[in-house]
Amino acid sequence: MKTQKIGAWIAILFGATYFILPLIATFEFSLRMRRGEYSFDAYRSVFTDSQFQESFTYSIIMAVLTIVFGVLLIVPTAYWVRLRLPQFRPVMEFVTLLPLVIPAIVIVFGYLRLYNSSSWIPFTGSTRGTDLLLMFSFMTLSLPYMYRSVDTAMRTIDVNTLTEAAQSLGAPWRTILFRCIFPNVMSGVLSGAFITFAIVIGEFTMPSLLNRPAFGPYLQLIGANRAYEPPALAIIAFAITWFSIGILQFLSRFNKARPAKP
Amino acid sequence: MSFLALSEIKKSFGPVQVVHNFNMAIEKGEFVSFLGPSGCGKTTILRMIAGFETPSGGTIRINGVDQTTLKPNQRNIGMVFQAYALFPNMTVYENVAFGLKVAGMARADIDRRVKEMLALIHLEHLAERYPYQMSGGQQQRVALARALAVKPQVLLLDEPLSALDAKIRVSLREEIRLIQQQLGITTVFVTHDQEEALSISDRIVVMNAGRADQIGTPSDIYNRPATRFVASFVGTLNLIEATVEDPQANRIRIGEHAIQIRDSLAQSRGGDKVAVALRPEAASLQATARTDTALPGEVVASSFLGSVVRTRLNVGGNTISFDMFNDPGLTPLAAGEKVTLHFAARDLLVIRD
Ligand SMILES: Nc1ncnc2c1ncn2[C@@H]1O[C@H](COP(=O)(O)OP(=O)(O)OP(=O)(O)O)[C@@H](O)[C@H]1O
Ligand SMILES: [Mg+2]
Repeated sequence: MKTQKIGAWIAILFGATYFILPLIATFEFSLRMRRGEYSFDAYRSVFTDSQFQESFTYSIIMAVLTIVFGVLLIVPTAYWVRLRLPQFRPVMEFVTLLPLVIPAIVIVFGYLRLYNSSSWIPFTGSTRGTDLLLMFSFMTLSLPYMYRSVDTAMRTIDVNTLTEAAQSLGAPWRTILFRCIFPNVMSGVLSGAFITFAIVIGEFTMPSLLNRPAFGPYLQLIGANRAYEPPALAIIAFAITWFSIGILQFLSRFNKARPAKP
Repeated sequence: MSFLALSEIKKSFGPVQVVHNFNMAIEKGEFVSFLGPSGCGKTTILRMIAGFETPSGGTIRINGVDQTTLKPNQRNIGMVFQAYALFPNMTVYENVAFGLKVAGMARADIDRRVKEMLALIHLEHLAERYPYQMSGGQQQRVALARALAVKPQVLLLDEPLSALDAKIRVSLREEIRLIQQQLGITTVFVTHDQEEALSISDRIVVMNAGRADQIGTPSDIYNRPATRFVASFVGTLNLIEATVEDPQANRIRIGEHAIQIRDSLAQSRGGDKVAVALRPEAASLQATARTDTALPGEVVASSFLGSVVRTRLNVGGNTISFDMFNDPGLTPLAAGEKVTLHFAARDLLVIRD
């Protein structure tokens, strides 16, 4: 009992060292831009860089759009598969896992072949079209996480009976989906949204090959050309990540839905 | 004309037919129970009435209007499920208000109606609770209020009590019956618990493998079972093998005792084997003014059931159970003891297969 506890503490300590030490080192290095003293010069340099502001704003807008459209696509799909095509679930699982197996670069080259400006659906013919295509690619990338977390959340409610209860009370499909199902899978939607956010902010391959000014390519550019700014960016990205987790935690507190007692 | 009419309803899932030509006419305000063993098709019929399954044949009419092809949300039917099925993201109040909101009722009217329904189930004080903050019995009462709030034409309940413990089950079934009578709502109640069905129904449909074996009042079903299945499914029953002695005189023979019964034997011939049934409560060890027949027997075992003691006897090769009221002064009968069983011959029922 006692030795088990000590073991657990050692494990935690080891994990913390593994995780926190590099973080501290990175932070320390990012403060050393000015010779001989610690300063936030690197951060100032990053924040005043107009390219940072632009690429970051672009990526955040993309992330929000990806989440909104992803949720609108995936929640109804997962719901319908559970309700009407349960035998189809293994196929869905397989399909949604594909983006993990197929490298992003393969997917994006496929897109470029299919949707280039001389194709039938010329997404890349205009900037807006390319943005749209990029959003769809982000949706593809986030599919495994989004689908899984929504589907898991759906497992905790009895989708079939809730649907029938709502139907017998006269509710049409739209009402059932948005008033009875959506609020009850909010926890899954939130965690899926969070992972999607992280993926979109950091993604390099797709925006760089589609030549859009996203945060990922900017990170890469800075990393290749500067010394002190990259660690500062890493710390900023990290802070944003934790900030979003905090927001999620905060939001999920308002989400009172819990499975009813059996 | 009947209010809810099911005629020639059939249902097949793939090659398997689970409901066979089901006919039933339910009057307005009537409380009908579907009683039967697991898998006999009770839920399937209920779901066809609600519109969740489409019948493979036959028609469903409510108040003369054909419902067969209507979608569930186009029918005006209230449904209560075994698993409560309250919306977990809504409070009690919001759950009960849901159907009214969907119907586009004005907010003040919704408020009045919800309060009325919560008063009906005595849960006004829990209006702001979420389903997970309530007991199963409370949740089921909310589900009942939610179903009734929209003033459905028919109320359907699919084993609403089977997830609850015994005490709540009894009190809630009485509450359901009381509310049903108060509102005069036509109700179909599915259960596999015969005591439940007997205690609250106007009529009972005993189902066996997708068919209605017998439709009748609780006392009909219990006292005059139409088939061997009904007799054995409802209540405990002693089946005694007998031989027809004189079909014209309704005389049978059990062992070496000739007995005159009330049931008609017109379809049998002398020498035929028949099964006759005797309820455990119809027999006793003392002769009374009512009894006219006595058979010798030997005690096999006796078991204490609380208010009654059920004893099994061996009577000429047949095992017969009978009940005695518990009496603190009584010494239980020992196995092997010789006794005489008294009963009235007119309580014997001839069971047809
Ligand atoms: N969707 C379905 N697909 C195939 N077979 C089904 C389906 N629903 C029900 N059945 C079959 O139909 C038969 C009747 O089922 P039903 O649910 O009506 O029984 P029940 O009388 O309600 O039983 P229980 O008391 O266990 O609830 C069963 O044999 C069942 O396996
Ligand atoms: Mg059932």
